[in-house]
Amino acid sequence: MAGGGEALGGGGKQRRGKAGKRKGKKRVGFRLDMTPLVDITFLLLTFFMLTTSMITPQTMEMNVPPELEIEIEVKQSELLILRVRDDGKIFYNMGLDAPEQIKSKKDLRKIIVDQNVDLKNRCIVTLKASGDAPYGLVVEILDELNSAEPDIIEGLKRAGINERKRKFTVAPLSEKDAEEIKGL
Amino acid sequence: MSKIKKKRLGFVLDMTPLVDITFLLLTFFMFTAKFRNESESEQKFTIKRPQTQSDTAKLPEKDLVMIKIGIDSVSKDTAWYLSMVNEQDVAKLANEMLALKYPGAKETTALFKFTDTTWLGTAIERARIVNPRAQFAVDADRRIRYKWIEVAVNEMRKKRATTFHFVTEKKTGGM
Repeated sequence: MAGGGEALGGGGKQRRGKAGKRKGKKRVGFRLDMTPLVDITFLLLTFFMLTTSMITPQTMEMNVPPELEIEIEVKQSELLILRVRDDGKIFYNMGLDAPEQIKSKKDLRKIIVDQNVDLKNRCIVTLKASGDAPYGLVVEILDELNSAEPDIIEGLKRAGINERKRKFTVAPLSEKDAEEIKGL
Repeated sequence: MSKIKKKRLGFVLDMTPLVDITFLLLTFFMFTAKFRNESESEQKFTIKRPQTQSDTAKLPEKDLVMIKIGIDSVSKDTAWYLSMVNEQDVAKLANEMLALKYPGAKETTALFKFTDTTWLGTAIERARIVNPRAQFAVDADRRIRYKWIEVAVNEMRKKRATTFHFVTEKKTGGM
């Protein structure tokens, strides 16, 4: 970029020579050396590109009832209990049935969808997670429940119900609950 | 063949489009860049968020109380960490905690560490007073035992913060 230097030099000469008539002359072929500018720009660009994290966290919204001492009676036959054991194994049972292990996420989805559709909105899903179960697993189950919603709505529509009332609770895993799934 | 041997004297490449695009990208990244706030620089742990696929909501950028549950990288103990996002709230909360004589509280503290449930409850209550519009978000590591989250949720329930967010991460790939 030798042109840049020349142009600057020429300007200096002019100033010294005829100071008054400078503005009239057009500077033809004027070149500014852009190399340092581009250098700095690229440096900044790489810095910002590398420091920016594009992954923004997402959220799962939760609503819990305030602490009220009101007992609500529910039919055992409409209660789907999901239990998570210390070792991360998931068990399910309807009402007073014997708990059964859920082997995969696919099974979990199927059970949730089937029960909700069969009971026509009356199914109450209760999640009881052991305090020692990993949090990630609990969120995964909640996520599975959330993503099962479209399937449930679809199933209900086929059964002629257009409205979906979701009933879901989270409850602590009591000792009795833990005892029931202990040996399975 | 003779073409290659020729020296290109006085070769000038027009850099204008290149500079244009570079500046465009630079301005874009400069405006989207978010810098760590005070509470994040006080944080001594990293959080591996649980992965989900059905969540699409984004975390609000202000009026937020973050309850982080993480494993300290130095002492290897689990604790609750509470911080507020709005700058004026951070200072107010620090003053409140100072007035309550929370051990280790300073006027500049942005991230409060709790190992005690009662103190966590107190801090949640104070945070609700400082900014009643603030929403709560629980940002916990996926490997943490569930009881830590249960305690935090129960404390929030006691203080009537019944709507909150679980901070998650988009699961990449299939199921």
